[in-house]
Amino acid sequence: MDAALRLTGIRKTFGATTAVDHLDLAVPVGALYGVIGPNGAGKTTTIRMIMSILFPDSGELSVLGHRSALDAKDRIGYLPEERGVYRKMHVGAFMVYMAQLKGVSDAGLPARVRSGLERVGLGGTERKRCEELSKGMLQKVQLLAAIIHQPDLLILDEPFSGLDPVSMRQLHDLVLEEHRRGATVLFSTHVMTQAEEICEHVVMIDRGRKVMDDRVTDIRRRYDPRTIRFEPLDPAADITPLRSLAEVEQVEPATHGYDIRLVDGSDPGAAIRRITSTLTPSRIELARPRLEDIFVSIVEGGSGESGRSGGAGGEGATA
Amino acid sequence: MRKIGLIAAREFLATVATRGFIVGVLLMPALLALAFSVGPRIMNQRSATVHGQVAVIDPTGRVTSALRTTIDPQAIAARRDETARRVLAAAPAAVRDLAASTGNTSNAAVDRMVGAVPDLQIVDSSDIGSQKAWLIEPTKELQPRHIAVVVIHHDAVSLPADHAEYGTYDLYVPVNLDDRIEAVIVDSVREAIVNARVLTQSLDREHLDALLRVQRPPSVTVTRNNEQVTSGVFNRVLPFAFVGLLLFGVLMGGQGLVTSTVEEKSSRVIEVLLSAVSPFELLAGKILGQMGVSLVVLALYIGLGLMLLASFTMLGLLDITLVFYLMVFFVITYLTIGSAMVAVGSAVNEMREAQSLMMPIMLTMMVPWVLAAPIAREPNSTFSTAISFIPPMNTFAMLLRLTSSAPPPAWQVWLTMGIGVGSVVAAVWMASKVFKIGLLMYGKPPDFKTLVRWVRAA
Repeated sequence: MDAALRLTGIRKTFGATTAVDHLDLAVPVGALYGVIGPNGAGKTTTIRMIMSILFPDSGELSVLGHRSALDAKDRIGYLPEERGVYRKMHVGAFMVYMAQLKGVSDAGLPARVRSGLERVGLGGTERKRCEELSKGMLQKVQLLAAIIHQPDLLILDEPFSGLDPVSMRQLHDLVLEEHRRGATVLFSTHVMTQAEEICEHVVMIDRGRKVMDDRVTDIRRRYDPRTIRFEPLDPAADITPLRSLAEVEQVEPATHGYDIRLVDGSDPGAAIRRITSTLTPSRIELARPRLEDIFVSIVEGGSGESGRSGGAGGEGATA
Repeated sequence: MRKIGLIAAREFLATVATRGFIVGVLLMPALLALAFSVGPRIMNQRSATVHGQVAVIDPTGRVTSALRTTIDPQAIAARRDETARRVLAAAPAAVRDLAASTGNTSNAAVDRMVGAVPDLQIVDSSDIGSQKAWLIEPTKELQPRHIAVVVIHHDAVSLPADHAEYGTYDLYVPVNLDDRIEAVIVDSVREAIVNARVLTQSLDREHLDALLRVQRPPSVTVTRNNEQVTSGVFNRVLPFAFVGLLLFGVLMGGQGLVTSTVEEKSSRVIEVLLSAVSPFELLAGKILGQMGVSLVVLALYIGLGLMLLASFTMLGLLDITLVFYLMVFFVITYLTIGSAMVAVGSAVNEMREAQSLMMPIMLTMMVPWVLAAPIAREPNSTFSTAISFIPPMNTFAMLLRLTSSAPPPAWQVWLTMGIGVGSVVAAVWMASKVFKIGLLMYGKPPDFKTLVRWVRAA
C-alpha cells in the first residue's frame, strides 16, 4: 500500500533533550491514524517535522511522495496545537486568506466559506471579527480553514482540546467526513479515549520513542482482557465461592459490583460460564482493555515497540 | 511569488486600513495645514496695548526730548513698517505676493511677533535711588505701569576730547517685563541718542542713513533650465528634509515589521501560516507589505513638499533626480533595516522584549542624523566620504552629500548603491535564518550571542 507519510529513523534534539528518537512511521494513503502519548512525548515535534516547520537532525521523511512538506503544502491541511487567528480580521476574510495561501482559486471561494461555516453552526459569522468568537467557535473556524482546500493529507495536533462535548462531536464528525472523502488523517492527542473512539490505527510515543504502532482492534485483541465486571442479582450475596474458582485470581469490590481478575492463560469464556453458574448476575461483562491502560502497562513494563508489538505492529510500522 | 504577494497585500491592508494609520499619517499634514490656515485667523487678535511710564535721568539734557519723539507710538509703528518692508524685499516673490494679498494681516503678524505698539510716557527724573524704588512699587489699577528707568551717561551725546567712544546708558526694569516692550525701549533710546548726537554735530540724519544704506540684492541661482532667486533657507533645509524623510520611512516600516511579527507570534497564528507558506515566503511578504506602507507615506509627504515648493514658486530650485535617489536609498535602507527588525520580531515574544534588541539598530540609524550637520557642511571630507561606504549609514550619508552644496562624484554614488545592495543580501540572508528558528521559539528571549548561533545553525 502507498504511504501518504513515511518517517524513517527520525531524530530531533533540543540541546541535551532528545525530543524524538529514531522514529519510524508509515501512514498509508486514506488511513486514519492517531499519535498518542502523554504531554511532552514528542508528538508535536514529530508533526512539526512532518510539516517542515522543524527539521530533523537525522533520518528521512516523505510526505505525499515528496521529501519535504514544503513541496506539497497546498495538499496538506494542518491544525497546529499552538493555533491562532488574526484577531482583528473578519472570520470570512481569514478563511478566504488561508484558502488563497493554500492555492484555492478565488472563484466560488466566498460561497465555499459560507457553506463551511453553516455546516458547523457558524452561519452568519463571516462579517464578525475573529476576536468576537468564543474559543470553541474559533477552533471550528480553524479546522475549517485547515480543510477548506480539501487536502489529501490532514494533520491535526490536539484538535479537540478544550472543547465542550457538543463542539467536540461536531469537529469529530468533520474529521470523519474528511476521512470518508478520501483524505489521509493523522492526529495527535494525549487524551487516549479520543484516539480510541476515532482512529483505526494508533501510534504510541513515550519520551520521543515509539512504543506501539498497531490497529486499534489488534491492540485490544493482543492485550487480552483478564478482568470481568460482575454485579450479582442479589447485592448482599456472599461472593466467597467465586474466589475458590480455578480461573479466578482475585475478586475486588468495584463501584457497582466486583472486578474479577483472572489467572494468566485462563479462558475468559469458560470463566464467565463458571461465574454465572456459581452466582446469578444482574450484569457480567468482559472489561475491554483501554488504550490508556495498555499505554501505562507498556511504559511501566519498560518495553517498547520492538518488545511488545507483534506482526500487526510490525506491519503498521513498515507498511 | 503569488503567496508572497498575498502576504504582502494582507500586511499592507492590515496596516493601512486602520483608523490609527489614517489618523497618524494624515495628522501631521492636517496639523500643518491648520497651523498655516486657521492658526493666523485664531491668533489674529492684536495683543493688548501696554500703557506705561519710563523714567529718564538725562544729565546731557538732550536725549529726553529726542526720546519723547522716538518713543511715540506713531514713530515706533513707522520704524516697524520700514523693517518689515526690508525683510519682505529680501523674501521670495511668493512671500511678497502673499503679504501684499493679506494686507493688514501682515501688520497683525508683525504685532504678534514683536507685540502691539506700547503707549509709553516719559517721566523726567534726577534721583536714581528714588526711581529704582518707584520701579518696584506696585501700580494701582488703571494707572500707567512703571516700566523702566533709563539713565543716560553724561558723555552719551558729546564725545569728550580724550575719549574715542561715546558713552551709553543704563536700563533698569522690573521683574517679568515683556522682552518685546524692553526691545521697544532699547530701540527708542538708541534712536534718541543717535538723533541727539547728529543734532549736536549739526548733521542731517536722513542724509547719513542714506549714506550708510547699501541694498543687498538677492542672489540668483542658475540652473540648466532657468534662473531663480536663491533661497538660503531652502538650501539649508533640503539635506535635513531628505534625510528626515528617509529615516522616517525606514523607522516607520521597521517598527511596523516588529509589531506585526510579534503580534503574529503572540497570537499563535504563525504556525498556521507556516503550514501554508515557507518561512522565506512569509518573511518576504511581510517586508514587502510594510515597504508598501512606508512608500505610501513617503509619496504623500514628498507630494505635499513638492506642492508647497510649487506654491512658493521654488520648485525649480529642487533637482528632481534627488527624489529618485531618495527612493532608491529608501528601498536599500529599508530592506537592510527591515530585515533586521523582522528578525528581532521573530526572536521575541512581546514588544517589551524587542526594545533591547532594537536598541543597537536604532542607535546605528541615529548616527547619520547626529552627524548630518558636519556631513552637509563638508560633504567631500574624508569622514563624509568614508561614512558613505559603511552600511547601513551609507545611504543616509550619501543622500546628505547629494543634497549638499558640493555633490559627490558619480562613481561614489554608484559604489554606495552597490554596497547597499550587498548589505541587503546579507541582511535578508541572516534575517531568514533567525526568522526560521525564532518564529517557533517561546520563552526567554535570545541575547545577541544566541542570535549569532541561530544564524550559524539554520
